[in-house]
Amino acid sequence: MSNRIYNVLFHTHTVSGLVISVALFVIFFAGSISFFRDDIINWEREQPIKENSQMDIDFNLALDSIENQHHLYGRDVTIRQIHQERRVMVSATPGKDSTATESALSRIFFYLDPATQQQYSYFEDFTLGEFMYRLHFFAQIPYPYGYLLSGFVAFFFLFAIVTGVIVHWKKIISNFYVFRPWAKLKTVWTDAHTALGLIGLPFQFIYAVTGAVLIIGSTVMLGPVTSLLYDGNSDKMFKDLSTDVAPFPFTNKPQNYELDINKMVLKAEQNWAGVYASQVVLQNYGDANMHVVVDVKPESDKKFAGLGQMAFKASTGEVVFERDPYTETSYIAGAQDFLIKLHYGNFGGYPLKIIYFIFGIITCFIILSGVLIWVEARDKKSNTPFKRKANQWVSAIFLAISLSMYPVTAFTFSVVKLFKDVNDPQPHLLIYKAFFISWLILTIIFSIKKDNYFTNKYSLLSGSILGFLVPVTNGVISSNWIWKTFNEQQLQIFVVDAFWLSTSIISLLIFLKLKPKGKLEQAKVKKAKAEYAI
Amino acid sequence: MEHSAYIIIVLPFGNNLIKMPANKKHLDPSFHQRFAKITAGFIGGFMITITLFLVPAILTDPVIVLFTLKFAGFIVWGTLMIIPFLFKNGWKAWGIYLLAIILLSSLLLLIKIQSPELYSGL
Repeated sequence: MSNRIYNVLFHTHTVSGLVISVALFVIFFAGSISFFRDDIINWEREQPIKENSQMDIDFNLALDSIENQHHLYGRDVTIRQIHQERRVMVSATPGKDSTATESALSRIFFYLDPATQQQYSYFEDFTLGEFMYRLHFFAQIPYPYGYLLSGFVAFFFLFAIVTGVIVHWKKIISNFYVFRPWAKLKTVWTDAHTALGLIGLPFQFIYAVTGAVLIIGSTVMLGPVTSLLYDGNSDKMFKDLSTDVAPFPFTNKPQNYELDINKMVLKAEQNWAGVYASQVVLQNYGDANMHVVVDVKPESDKKFAGLGQMAFKASTGEVVFERDPYTETSYIAGAQDFLIKLHYGNFGGYPLKIIYFIFGIITCFIILSGVLIWVEARDKKSNTPFKRKANQWVSAIFLAISLSMYPVTAFTFSVVKLFKDVNDPQPHLLIYKAFFISWLILTIIFSIKKDNYFTNKYSLLSGSILGFLVPVTNGVISSNWIWKTFNEQQLQIFVVDAFWLSTSIISLLIFLKLKPKGKLEQAKVKKAKAEYAI
Repeated sequence: MEHSAYIIIVLPFGNNLIKMPANKKHLDPSFHQRFAKITAGFIGGFMITITLFLVPAILTDPVIVLFTLKFAGFIVWGTLMIIPFLFKNGWKAWGIYLLAIILLSSLLLLIKIQSPELYSGL
């Protein structure tokens, strides 16, 4: 590689990394916490569930209660549970009966608690876990801008990773072993950036690609394909790319059913070894041509990505369609499942989630150190004082936004536990206020203080203290003290409390080890020089 | 004693460190060159990616190729965004990219004229 190309690519790495830095930090920080999204939800609602009890509900009872409140005739009704929580998602297409009333022509979406048969709208169901999850793809910014922003940040992250590897390629082995914590501050960040970047490289590559695919794959990548291949008919394309069983025609002949859906789900689940139901679709509800389609997925250790399907004709109960998850999984169903599993990290239980979480935080550190290298490298006498000052402002604001996320998140956990009312129809307002206002205030304070050492130290300390308060608040409010949830195996509640306890201990230890950089640096350099002289 | 270990670790690499930031004398500061390279990669690269996948999509199984485009497309596009920076003249990169786009889209058009049944099958 010529000197010119090396420097040019280096520059593209710097610029692309800097442009996305803040957004990427927010994505990785919120995303890392979202690995525990379902645990946070169950912690917040005090509804621990058994592991692997997804879709373990009484479908007959649930449908009875849904039918009591909604006109279902002619709709396709879908019951899914994509997360490990108690409530299931119920959605329905508009009725296909053209003479139906207006209310029957609108879509239906709500969450159903199978234990109480209570229905919740999307906002009534809103939780802190959902908030952190949606923050990690900027869903709070109006659609489609938030999605597009996060998607392009992921794509430029891919660009930054590849250019970073190219630039670093020649010294990738030797520099891995270099760590000079007592030399200049810049070299500390450089060594950390390159060593951790190499360790985290596969993880980051996976996240850059899957992240971009999941959020802008259909809109940006397949957008032009719609007009070029499908004459702008995007419904047709997405039908082609769908993994659902082909729709059965609607005949508009109402019929009364005494259906036992539980039996059909059980039959599908027992048809193959080691599978669980992931989705139940009732096509043409209440029609003579009504069908029940059960999707099953193999457990991750049986087959990493797979989709099995079984369709029953409702009037006779006979199986009219069958797809074996082990031998007949289609390419798109497999690829889709593969991408989602890689991104969600939900195929190895808690050990994998913890490893993924650590890698996520490592990535946050790489982003921080990257920006700090940039600042330190430009803090030279050859630069004008104005430029040096401006750079310091940039780094101060960047660190303030990034690091204050830690105490702010811990704070919001306690706020939700203390003040969230289960009957509040708009709980997202409380969460938004607690999170965004405290984030803004802390960012302003740290930015004005303009002392990176101070920002780092007090983010860690306040985050640690507020983190300790999370399990305490939970114990006081719900009397689910951490030892009690541990003894009673209320796993998800325990996981969230243990998470805050361990991160608080670690950050407190780091806080106690921190020493003002100036003094430390001088002392170490002096000592090293003295030793070298001898 | 511990500090002598530190010296042993550091000294062998003393002249082998990454130099930061990028050396400015190798960067072309002119706006139109940067503009050319960035747009060639971002817009041109995207158009090449799409047309590159559309040709096999029409000729073989569209569903499989389109889904592959959905994820592999980002890797191809990312690579095509880097290549223009290897050129000294960004407009030359644009020229080559434009040629590739014209070539691939005329191929698509040719298929459409020669065997329209491949399109109507979608």
